[in-house]
Amino acid sequence: MEITVSGIPLEVDSGVTLVHALWSAGRADEIQTGCDGGVCGACTVSIQLKEEPNKTIIDLACCRIVEEGMNVFPYPVAANMPVAPSSDPTAETLRKAYPTLDRCTKCDACTTVCPMGIPVMESIKRMQAGAFDQVVEDYTTCIHCGQCRGICEDRVQPHSMGMWLRRSIAMKNSIETSSNYDGALADLEWDYLLSGDNKETRLERCRQFRKTGKAES
Amino acid sequence: MDWAKSLIQKVEDTRENRLKVPAPELSDEETQALLEKYHPDYTGQARALCVGPNADEESFPCELADMLESASMLPPDFKPEPEIETDVLILGGGGSAASAVLALEGSGLKVHLATKLRLGDSNTVMAEGGIQSALGENDSPRRHFADSFVGGHGENDAGLLKILCESGPKEIRRLSQLGCLFDRTEDGAYRLRLGGGASVPRVLACRDYTGLEIMRVLRDAVRLSSANILEESPAIELLDDGEGQVSGAVLWDRKNNKFICVSARAVLLATGGAGQLRLKGFGTSNHIGATADGLTLAYRQGCRLVHANSFQFHPSGACYPPALEGQLVTEAIRSLGAQALNCEGKHFVSEMAFRDVLSSAIIREVSEGRGVKTPSGSAGVWLDTPLIDIRHGRGALRKQFPGLFHRWEPMGIDPSKIPILIYPTLHYQNGGIRINEHCQTDAPGLWASGEATGGVHGTNRLMGNSLLDVMAFGRRAGEHIRENMSARKAITANNAERFRSILLDKRPDALKGPLLFPREMNLKIRIGEN
Repeated sequence: MEITVSGIPLEVDSGVTLVHALWSAGRADEIQTGCDGGVCGACTVSIQLKEEPNKTIIDLACCRIVEEGMNVFPYPVAANMPVAPSSDPTAETLRKAYPTLDRCTKCDACTTVCPMGIPVMESIKRMQAGAFDQVVEDYTTCIHCGQCRGICEDRVQPHSMGMWLRRSIAMKNSIETSSNYDGALADLEWDYLLSGDNKETRLERCRQFRKTGKAES
Repeated sequence: MDWAKSLIQKVEDTRENRLKVPAPELSDEETQALLEKYHPDYTGQARALCVGPNADEESFPCELADMLESASMLPPDFKPEPEIETDVLILGGGGSAASAVLALEGSGLKVHLATKLRLGDSNTVMAEGGIQSALGENDSPRRHFADSFVGGHGENDAGLLKILCESGPKEIRRLSQLGCLFDRTEDGAYRLRLGGGASVPRVLACRDYTGLEIMRVLRDAVRLSSANILEESPAIELLDDGEGQVSGAVLWDRKNNKFICVSARAVLLATGGAGQLRLKGFGTSNHIGATADGLTLAYRQGCRLVHANSFQFHPSGACYPPALEGQLVTEAIRSLGAQALNCEGKHFVSEMAFRDVLSSAIIREVSEGRGVKTPSGSAGVWLDTPLIDIRHGRGALRKQFPGLFHRWEPMGIDPSKIPILIYPTLHYQNGGIRINEHCQTDAPGLWASGEATGGVHGTNRLMGNSLLDVMAFGRRAGEHIRENMSARKAITANNAERFRSILLDKRPDALKGPLLFPREMNLKIRIGEN
């Protein structure tokens, strides 16, 4: 079947992703690619389908299967500079970090371009209302492709604010972690595990230790 | 999935019974026999090297051997002139490089991070299942060590492994303070999952996006640090002072198609693994940058490699539909109870066995005709994903593994309703550049950390130990570099030249390297040409 990439026709096999179709054709350098697994956000493209040529879809080229008559253009968004997180995340500190928060006109373009299906505009409203727990959840799957920011006429930076909130809340709620019973007993256990004469002895000791978490007395 | 209707029926028919009967366990002897007969480390084509520190000692998969025995891309009479003078040059853009940048922050040293693609484009971002840290009841860094040492077949460097296991709680605290959100239980404690081959639950996760969570936080922090970031700039050669000490690197500025020579007082190689060499025709779960560049360059500087011929084939790579072939299906799904089944619906081995064992068992089932043949020509076994909702309640699979749905649903497959097909995928380079406990390589002036290095995991890595590895050893490298800076030295291409001349003498048809991009991409690399 045939698709079009950057205005140039491309003969492709069915069932392959856009990224792999370009690789096969020796046109890999036309679309920026990173992980080829749907998590790095490098390969965002704009797509018009044959059936609906006037509707533009934004998706990841590594996840999108080719369709007859598809019209594809690379659509990357450059990275931006983040604002340092705060260990005191409040509606006020968020607005101070990202003053454009309240410029959102609720046009919902950000939601329509998100390749991860995040309810971006709803989440902006939640930010404005201070409902941060849900915002943190909303941005769990954010790959920071930048599309929501790129399309915003009002310079709102949804994914950057999502990151700022997630980091800030994690910092605020971080818990102390320490390993169990370090000290003299730990030294004895290390001695037991490490001092075997050869590999077989050490392996045998480790096999034993796995069963109970304790050294054999 | 209409073609598989009757086969899926078999999976459904056997489900009730499978839930009652435990999976078959193998004895140590059976395990060893299985590995030797079916694991690709034992069965693939390999050859010895004719040059460098590992010459004539052991065999390497041919695809890797071709790169270790590749010749420099620099022109023959290349005289490096420093365009950038820095204190610390970090090569790589993944978790380990970022961890090192943060460890150097506040030192007053000038730091440059150069990476082939963009900051964060790495295997780190693709890690799904989680990160190990001995935080549970009845757990300790010693138990973590014991599990990992047995999993690594006792080949692990015990000193490095001890450091790794003791770093667990510290690195989780550090990540959390940096802003990573790990899944918690209802009472607010970190939720710990059981990883394959672990004796107690020890894996922390952020759904099935753990690597993404860690990498995006690290990337954010690195952008806010004082480090200079050079993207789209892979290292194509390491430079030395003429007396063997590494003193810089040649970068390829891809956008302007030119060389950039960097003079540095310390160089850290954190360039990751080699999955995109696609050894023995296997698919890979790796990022496109994982082409063994770091190994290739370090080997020319006289760095010995350890277990660099040992690779991890992750048991659950996708094998159908073809668009997803090789992509990772996290082990955490198995840890929550999805079973691996052959075409008869038989539960042929415990899916929580060590990764190399389970992979070998899957390869055995397929090669003995008990796999599922797909219309695309691939074959694999079932992973009974609907079991997750059956065991943990409706919606549990989707809630815990959003990434799975994001990739499978567009293909018309709902993994909570029907099982998915898996086959081992090339996932991780178990070995790599030899380092000491301070991440120093055999070449003075050159440190290495993360997947590029070898020793800590022996010849088989446990789930969740690589994310811990990149964090712990990236930091260690940064901390050691801070305290052990040498004076600025000259930059020459002497080591690389010498290696090339010995190599071409013995193997005139040697390829040029490093590979930089997977062959499957069909990219024509024309460095320095217009």
